[in-house]
Amino acid sequence: MKRALHYSILLLGTIIFLYPFLWMISATFKPELEIASFGLWPSQFTLSSYEQVFAKIPILRSLFNSLLVSLSITASVLFFGSMVGYSLSRLRFRGRNLMLMVILFTMMIPFQLTIIPLYILMVKLHWTDSYMALIAPGMMSGFGVLLFRQFFQAIPQSLIDAARMDGLNDVQILFKIIWPLSRPVMITVGIITFMNTWNEVLWPLIVIRDRALMTMPQTVTIFAVSGMAEAQLGVKLAAATLLALPVIIAYAIFQRYFIESMASTGLK
Amino acid sequence: MKHPGKNGTDLTAATRSDKMPKKPKNNRTGYLLSLPYWVHFAFFMAYPLVFSFILVFHEWDIYTPMRWVGLGNFIRLFQDSLFWQAILNTLWFLVIHIPLQIALALLFAVLLNEKLRGRGFFRAAYFMPVVVSGIVIAILWQQLFSMENGILNLLLGSIGLAKVPWLISPEWAMPSVAIMATWKNVGLYIVLFLAGLQNIPSHLYEAAGIDGATAWQKFRHITLPMLNPAVLLVLILSTIGGFSLFIEPYVLTGGGPMNRTLSAMLYIYKQAFYFNRMGYAATLGFFFAFIILAVVLVQRKVVEQEALE
Amino acid sequence: MPSQKTMPDLRLKTVLFAGLSLVLLLSGCGGSDSRTKARKAGLIYWPAANAQEIELATRAVDEWNALHPHIPVIVQPIPESQSTEEVLLAAIVGKTTPDVCSNIWPGVVGQFVRARALVALDSFSDFDSLAAARLPEGQREAFRHDDGHIYQMPWKTNPIMMEYNVKRLQEAGFKQPPATYSEFISMGEALTRDVNGDGQRDQWMMYVDINVKWWLRYFDFYTFYLAASGGQTLIKNRQVTFENEAAVAVFGFFRECFARGLFPTATFQGDTFLSGQMATHITGPWNIAHVDKFKTADFEFDYAPIPLPDGHEGPVTTYGDPKNIAIFTTCRNTGDAWAFVKFLVSRQQDLALLRIASQLPIRKNLLGDSLFGEYLQNNPKMARFAEQAPRTLGVDAAPELREVFDAISQEFEACCVLGRRTPQEAVRRAAQRSRQILQ
Repeated sequence: MKRALHYSILLLGTIIFLYPFLWMISATFKPELEIASFGLWPSQFTLSSYEQVFAKIPILRSLFNSLLVSLSITASVLFFGSMVGYSLSRLRFRGRNLMLMVILFTMMIPFQLTIIPLYILMVKLHWTDSYMALIAPGMMSGFGVLLFRQFFQAIPQSLIDAARMDGLNDVQILFKIIWPLSRPVMITVGIITFMNTWNEVLWPLIVIRDRALMTMPQTVTIFAVSGMAEAQLGVKLAAATLLALPVIIAYAIFQRYFIESMASTGLK
Repeated sequence: MKHPGKNGTDLTAATRSDKMPKKPKNNRTGYLLSLPYWVHFAFFMAYPLVFSFILVFHEWDIYTPMRWVGLGNFIRLFQDSLFWQAILNTLWFLVIHIPLQIALALLFAVLLNEKLRGRGFFRAAYFMPVVVSGIVIAILWQQLFSMENGILNLLLGSIGLAKVPWLISPEWAMPSVAIMATWKNVGLYIVLFLAGLQNIPSHLYEAAGIDGATAWQKFRHITLPMLNPAVLLVLILSTIGGFSLFIEPYVLTGGGPMNRTLSAMLYIYKQAFYFNRMGYAATLGFFFAFIILAVVLVQRKVVEQEALE
Repeated sequence: MPSQKTMPDLRLKTVLFAGLSLVLLLSGCGGSDSRTKARKAGLIYWPAANAQEIELATRAVDEWNALHPHIPVIVQPIPESQSTEEVLLAAIVGKTTPDVCSNIWPGVVGQFVRARALVALDSFSDFDSLAAARLPEGQREAFRHDDGHIYQMPWKTNPIMMEYNVKRLQEAGFKQPPATYSEFISMGEALTRDVNGDGQRDQWMMYVDINVKWWLRYFDFYTFYLAASGGQTLIKNRQVTFENEAAVAVFGFFRECFARGLFPTATFQGDTFLSGQMATHITGPWNIAHVDKFKTADFEFDYAPIPLPDGHEGPVTTYGDPKNIAIFTTCRNTGDAWAFVKFLVSRQQDLALLRIASQLPIRKNLLGDSLFGEYLQNNPKMARFAEQAPRTLGVDAAPELREVFDAISQEFEACCVLGRRTPQEAVRRAAQRSRQILQ
């Protein structure tokens, strides 16, 4: 009895969280007049919403931009973040503790404080309307550094000492010994960084005005608010579905990693 | 290239059993490897912080020369009814969002903590809105909230209730945004609470069971206090989230009706990029950041206090 | 926890290095701009990006290039995705402004001048005589900047008028378009109805966009306010001048129309005036060609001045949405640019503007000039706008104008659309906030 109640609540929850997505995807295949209904199966299957999206906005170009920006930032955070994390956890040098404090301090600063001056910096560097404005500010992540540091600290010192005996220097140790051991932290930092960058809208809205350089979320946002969709629900939802699809597919395959990684953002 | 790792001192260090190797204080590789952080910090953190401090005393539209206004921006801010409206809106958002979030996340976390078939599936389903971009969620909910033919009003109609003017009425708009935000985020907090629940040692419950405690008493006196850190996390993340609310009102309402969903971030954006008031926008950012820090500190104090009691 | 693998994970590493080299590659080409590359050749000219104006500009430049092969001009329409003002401001910061732009809105000229982006046109010796020949008496001063110079060549204006569906008015027994608010409302009551009998209205008097975007208020509140106030604008000498009866009357008028349901608050697809759903429409001369192109064979439409508050009498002043031509300081040969500007405002080009873009040149005595008179005789709808043209006004040149309009738009929503505030209170609040903004 109690079990049945549990299950019915959990099932209700599943409907509440999943049904809207299913409805959204099915709505994109419905004729416009049919969208305002609960049903998931279109009486008439049509691709016209998607045809209009592809005709009205450069969605593929923006997909490319988003991939380029997100992959570059993720690669940079993994590469540089692990370097800094290694130096913080395994090397001694003057200013190390200061750096740790600075990282913790900067992580506390709300972005509301820096976003306007950061935009002005982009203007001064002539980086607005360029990939640099989208990529450069995200190339390092204090949170990523801390995760790397924490992970590297747990690696046995004997392993590093042995490598040193073999004549490896610190750079070689990092890339040849530590990196291969670091899959879990790489996945965590990688997923968090990639997702945050992929979903970011505010910063692209601020620094990019040129349609050809817009990221996918930005393109879809502007499409949704600018009236380009001419009050057609199906077209807006189709654009949203195209934006959600890559993430939903990735999530369906790697959901465990997603949940664990994103939950760790809370564990500062 | 010389590497300190190759010289003799290092070998002696290796023989020590210390966790942290005692190596020369000035390990050059250390500087080298940490350099990327300092470069990034200088450009994208230190410079903006310093510059924001200069900006708040100026009026500037980027295009024409900066104009010193002293405390003018601060005076304007205190007289600006929209600044206060944005704060009020954010607080109103938090008042609805946080309790709803905690209650729902707790409910589902406690249910999922039982040994049930399909736990992984349920958890994954609830987490889905967390991974999907906020803009997708906003476009989707804009349709769900639609007055005439939105799914929510169709649902209410089918059980004989009146239509709700979700995004149209000034009174309902912010609660609607809060409901949507809860739907988007609750999966994350379910997972966080679940992790907290799994850390509660089972002997506590067993001991309470022997003392004859009811399920509610166990929940009230064991589960809740042990979840305090997770609750604090939810409070802090939700507060920061509330002050960072941007894309939801930007897409759903544009800040209206009657500025009732004008969020802090949306107001900064408007001042900076609609009206080119960089100095004033920086001042707003300065203040909102200050408020976030203050609220977070107070929350931390209060929750820690309660944990002690 | 660390896996037992000790071999370097080469794949991951390769991917990372590939990503990083991409970043470095991009940093090299990130700042380059396609616009700068075209700089070396002659002049660069930015027209507005709509199809008609691109055609107009292309034809004009073809003619010019044939006549002046030593000063080749390149046409580059302003990128579409955003407002011209934003694009130009960004270009000013990046020093990538064109030599000549013909989509300059007088409201932002002040800002451009303070950014030292525009060339003073009165520094050319023949400017005064040219402007005098072009502008009606008294209007020239409206374009003068605070520093006494003129930075814009008055080019075109688009008087905003009422467009109405002749047949729907006739069916309801009205012979003339409404001249006053009460005529408008009683006509609206007759024309707003449920035609198919499903219990829901499907025809209305007019569609007013209820979005609060500031610039939308140029075409409803501001147009009606200029008419009601007899041509008083919103700001004078940085003082708010709109806290008056005219503004209250306009707010009251829109409030009543919304409250009575004459203006729907729902969103629609397609052109609601063409489909017959709306009986009237606030629009400019550019819409003539649009309606002619898409209307059904028996659709009849005409234009009339903006209605006035009861007891007021014409002639009616209206909003003109003027666009002018300017030369930017990044131009290396301003003499050539000036010659090109003079070419763009020549009589033949003004006629092309009328013909191709259905927009009115700012030019003295348009109706009396034989060159234009013939065209206007054959196009009586265009003639209505030409008659209105001498009584059009633009906007005040305050840099904070957008914010003032935003304040008005907020009150417009609260009072007119939602009915939450009285017109008096809404006007008072808008004026109060505008004073704060102008401080």
